[in-house]
Amino acid sequence: MTQPAIQLTDIVRDYQLGKTTVHAARGVSLEFQRGEFTALAGASGSGKTTLLNIIGCIDKPDAGRVRVDGQDVTDTPLHRLAGLRNRYFGFVFQTFNLVAVLDAYENVELPLVLGGVPARQRRERVEALLESVGLANHRHHRPQELSGGQRQRVAIARALVTEPLAVLADEPTANLDSKTGADILELMAALNASRGVTFIFSTHDHHIINRAARVIWLSDGTVREVPPAERAAAPSFRAAGVNS
Amino acid sequence: MKSFLVIPVRNVLRNRRRTAITLLVIVVGAMALMLSGGFFENSYGGLREQTIRNGLGHLQVLSEPFLKDGEERPLAQGLQDYRALQTRLEAMPHVVGTTGEVSFVGLVSNGEKSEAFLGRGVEPAREQQMGFTTRIKAGRALSLEEAALPDAEHEALLGVGLAGALKAKEGDLLTLLSTTTDGSLNGIDVKVVGLFTTGVKEFDDRAVKVKLGTAQALVGADRVTRVIVKLDETRHTDEVVAAINAAGLEAGGLKLRARSWSELATFYHQVVRMYDAIFLVLGVIITVLVVLSSSNTMMMAVLERVQEIGTLMALGARRWQVLGIFILEGLLVGSLGAALGLLMSFLAIQGINAANILLPPPPTFSSGIALKINFVPRLCLVVFVLVTLTQTLSALLPSIKAARLKIVDALRHV
Repeated sequence: MTQPAIQLTDIVRDYQLGKTTVHAARGVSLEFQRGEFTALAGASGSGKTTLLNIIGCIDKPDAGRVRVDGQDVTDTPLHRLAGLRNRYFGFVFQTFNLVAVLDAYENVELPLVLGGVPARQRRERVEALLESVGLANHRHHRPQELSGGQRQRVAIARALVTEPLAVLADEPTANLDSKTGADILELMAALNASRGVTFIFSTHDHHIINRAARVIWLSDGTVREVPPAERAAAPSFRAAGVNS
Repeated sequence: MKSFLVIPVRNVLRNRRRTAITLLVIVVGAMALMLSGGFFENSYGGLREQTIRNGLGHLQVLSEPFLKDGEERPLAQGLQDYRALQTRLEAMPHVVGTTGEVSFVGLVSNGEKSEAFLGRGVEPAREQQMGFTTRIKAGRALSLEEAALPDAEHEALLGVGLAGALKAKEGDLLTLLSTTTDGSLNGIDVKVVGLFTTGVKEFDDRAVKVKLGTAQALVGADRVTRVIVKLDETRHTDEVVAAINAAGLEAGGLKLRARSWSELATFYHQVVRMYDAIFLVLGVIITVLVVLSSSNTMMMAVLERVQEIGTLMALGARRWQVLGIFILEGLLVGSLGAALGLLMSFLAIQGINAANILLPPPPTFSSGIALKINFVPRLCLVVFVLVTLTQTLSALLPSIKAARLKIVDALRHV
């Protein structure tokens, strides 16, 4: 068996919410292979974002080990993992998180600039990706001049531009209408199929969950693989608090 | 995009109102420093030239014993053969004229009342040639004739304060009493020909000015206390002082030394020290105001962009890069504000100087002074660097705060 792209072992993560301690992860162990299209599903507050943050090296577990491409990053301070994040991960956020003063082209180019990629290489990659996400004609538009769906396409292009090990998308369709959300999901699926990029995304949307090749169900800080047969049983998700 | 540093440049341009307010604070701060510094510089220059023209000269040649121990009796350590000395000094480069002077003290009496005075025996014709001015407030200046003959009338000018104390006016006869060189008491009658002011009230209350011959007759010695030297330009002072001291001059067996106006003008240095202290306090206040105002603005800039900072760090921005973004914003606004401040200062100085504004007399001065402000190029550099650095430092604390944000917290920030 090949080495997993990402490996989480016995991850524990608690955080304080007011006076309450939330157990976001209670000994979670997971492996993600290259090219997977995985949904982290669960109700709000089930720990999806926390798990994505730990995978993306923007948060630390209280206990357990995190390996990225075979490299144990658990004990490395987060600020020293900037280069690793840039090289291995692309991030897509629920609120798009584009830099307001940069246009679409520059937003996509930003991770390459931060990573010190030469200008010519940057230009080739950015133009190809803007083409892939259907925004070649909007390259000089700033975020406020783009629709929600277009902004998320820019964010996806930005996440892919460094040719990362995995794209981590936190509720990527939550701020979009259902039609645009479905389009974004189709785009992610197409890029996963055509480029073999690993996608790990969190969602509580039943329709999106059904599009994922692999579904991991989070509940009370624990995880459970959901087999395809079970996924069809939408009511069970509804009962667990997942939107239909 | 050549660099991520386009982000701060564009943010400065994007938040126009905030940038404009910050610039306004910086411009006002820079102008306050430039105008106050320029005013002080002008005052220093004016006071320096006034001090020199009031009779101090650019330098003075005195006997070494006088400089070391002073005199118990008038002219005891005075310069003999001072005419020969003057001739020699006048042959030196940059020297445009010399004049002898006798300093003496005593009592001046109108028959009913006596007042202590500080007397100066001068050579009016030479002083006039050298451009030394006596500001006459009533009557006329001393006549230009060389010396008062024994049977001629002795002329005197009184400081306006002293004249007031004695109720003396032009044409009055007074008696000057002083110790002579050999220790006896001598008196001489003088006719008041005018009243004058030195510009400093304390001097005006005690000043008496007579011709050199009158002073020498009063103290009974054919000497002078000092020879005052006027140069073509003030900046040559140190060079000429050094040349005179190197020449090893003597007069009547006494070694002579030259002292520059700067060494002799204690009042000038007191004023400069006071103004410098005021300028320092002003500078500190302005700097603190700019720091407080600007750091508040920068803190707002950071708070507005917390999520952007989180995103940048998630995408792989290092702490120093986040720090650099906000420091550069401070640097940009600071340098732009400083440049605008200097330009506005230049225009304001032209306007103020053209307006011919008269200020009330400062402490110890007896007359008002014109408000003139110098545009000081070296101060431009100081103000530019100070203001730019101040603004950059104002950005430092918010920038450090931004760079130390936890990524997950920053991403959650709304």
